[in-house]
Amino acid sequence: MIVDQVLASSIVLTTPILLAAIGGLINRQAGIVNIALDAKMLAGAFVSVIVSSVTGSWLVAVLAAAAAGALIGLFFSLAITRMRADMIVAGLGLNFLIAGLIGFVLSWSFNSSGTLRMPDVQLLPKILPQSLSSVPVVGPMMAQIEPVTLFAWISVLVLPFVLSDTRFGLRLRATGNAPQVAHAMGLGSKGLQDMSTIIAGFFSGLGGAHLALASIGLFNEGLSAGRGFIALAAFYFGRNMPVPTALVCLLFGFLDAVQIRMQTAGLPPKLIGTIPYFMVLVALCWAGWRSVRARDRTA
Amino acid sequence: MAEAATPLRERSIERLEKGFGLVFPFFAALVVASLVLLVIGKNPLLVFSLIAEEAFGSTNRIAATLSATTPLLFTGVATAICFRAGVFNVGVEGAFVVGGLGAAFIGFALPSSLGILLVPIGFALAATVSAFWLAVPGYLLARYEIEEVVSTLMLNFVALGVTGYLVNGPLLSEKSGNNVTPLIHESAELVRLIPPSTLHAGFLVGLFILAAYGFWIRRTPAGIESAIVGQNRRFASAVGISIPATIILVMVISGIVSGLGGASHALGQLHRFAEGFSPGYGFTGMAVALLGRNTAIGILFGSILFGALASAGTTVQLFSDIPLDIVNIIEGTVMIFAVVELGRIALFRRKAVK
Repeated sequence: MIVDQVLASSIVLTTPILLAAIGGLINRQAGIVNIALDAKMLAGAFVSVIVSSVTGSWLVAVLAAAAAGALIGLFFSLAITRMRADMIVAGLGLNFLIAGLIGFVLSWSFNSSGTLRMPDVQLLPKILPQSLSSVPVVGPMMAQIEPVTLFAWISVLVLPFVLSDTRFGLRLRATGNAPQVAHAMGLGSKGLQDMSTIIAGFFSGLGGAHLALASIGLFNEGLSAGRGFIALAAFYFGRNMPVPTALVCLLFGFLDAVQIRMQTAGLPPKLIGTIPYFMVLVALCWAGWRSVRARDRTA
Repeated sequence: MAEAATPLRERSIERLEKGFGLVFPFFAALVVASLVLLVIGKNPLLVFSLIAEEAFGSTNRIAATLSATTPLLFTGVATAICFRAGVFNVGVEGAFVVGGLGAAFIGFALPSSLGILLVPIGFALAATVSAFWLAVPGYLLARYEIEEVVSTLMLNFVALGVTGYLVNGPLLSEKSGNNVTPLIHESAELVRLIPPSTLHAGFLVGLFILAAYGFWIRRTPAGIESAIVGQNRRFASAVGISIPATIILVMVISGIVSGLGGASHALGQLHRFAEGFSPGYGFTGMAVALLGRNTAIGILFGSILFGALASAGTTVQLFSDIPLDIVNIIEGTVMIFAVVELGRIALFRRKAVK
């Protein structure tokens, strides 16, 4: 019924945001606020549709999308770490540049404005048997799960250990949270930051591939619809911790699913769409208020 | 001899860097655009001369370029005023949009018997709404140290959502279908300067704002103080400049200028508010401010440059089948290289100090 369908579409709509948020979170832990997640998602979606159509393999398409995101991430990172570019302006600029390049290729090579339809696009396969969808409540949701979603949630579960119990995770966090300490320990923080931005690109590209290949199988210039920024909102709200961030993504995915339902019920979808952004403002205010209060107490 | 030569040499290096710094991002963007054009087998020089021809070739084309320049004058100033005070306001886009809706609302909702008075009322409401819009993140930054980048970025989306809701709901025009407000009264329309082009009196307002900005940053205590805050906060507070007051001041002025820009666009260009009111004027304004190094003359040239690209881009697409997206590519490259360059200068300075 309605509940299980909303659940099912929530899980599907969460995945791209979640993947981008995981990438952004890792990047942020290393001290880089990645505002270009949206561009990388868009690039991933674009590449995945073309590769899926040409090779006929969803796996190759997904990997190509992740590689495209990672490559853009590398360039972005080099501009920040080696050429000392301001990460916010460079990130916004990158969003324009990538959107421009994609639009350019789209209208030049594919002679289309905005939308790319390709023949024989291979969609992501569902893992579990479709007969599951007759199971009440969780059935349709389970039937929707494909490899990319599974990968995203496994990443969420593994990430806390990676960040707190591995050499790489600890060094990464030291680079972002205590640059002087990292420097004193002789860690090559620039290399680590580059690595984290590449990882962010990898995950965002994957998220883009999911956007394009989960069900629609085509590319559109407005496909990412600001999801890279919602992902930014998610890890800000989740305070860079994997599990809370994932829960926030789930909430945003749920809101997205509800928003689609609400359009038929007559509630304004545009206003519901602003909720994630409001939540971030509230979260920022809360965090700011707490730190000011803490400072005043010690003073 | 050597002692006398050093400051002279340093000064000339500084001058060289400054000049290079202004040209470099633009040059880099041209290189990137040329590469893209070469890949598709077009002669970049021919394309650029076609763009120049389309942007400045005749009175009509110049008027079209200046018309596209107009919103950028406002958003460029609104961004620069914050950037030079070290406040990273990326919310000009949102403030521009809410201001535009405010002015359009005055233009169609108040009785047309008010006549020409509708124009100043519209501008005043737009300025007020947008000033409050940016005063909020300004206050949050000044009082609670809440990152202005994120808060203003989020407010952009809120602005788009709320105005999008209003023009599809309460303020929807009954006559013309989707996503637009009714047209404003004729008396609220700004004068068109060179008909048939859409160049309107808002351009003159923009020039006035730009001149006022140039005066403010160089000749008023508040303007000079805000630059000091931008360069060195600890020094600024040591000499008795209030940092919170400066932050809120520049955010409010930025809001006022953005709002005036929105009003000019609504009353002069579109004569209503519509969804997609701003195709990223706020963000292009950032590129303009960065390219112009926050100086008045730099902003003037920057906004004419991007205005020319926008107005010529459309016709170039028609005549030479080169996609309009080349404009976005240039804009993005300019933004990236503008800040890369800033980093390089900082690197030079540090070496000089050592």
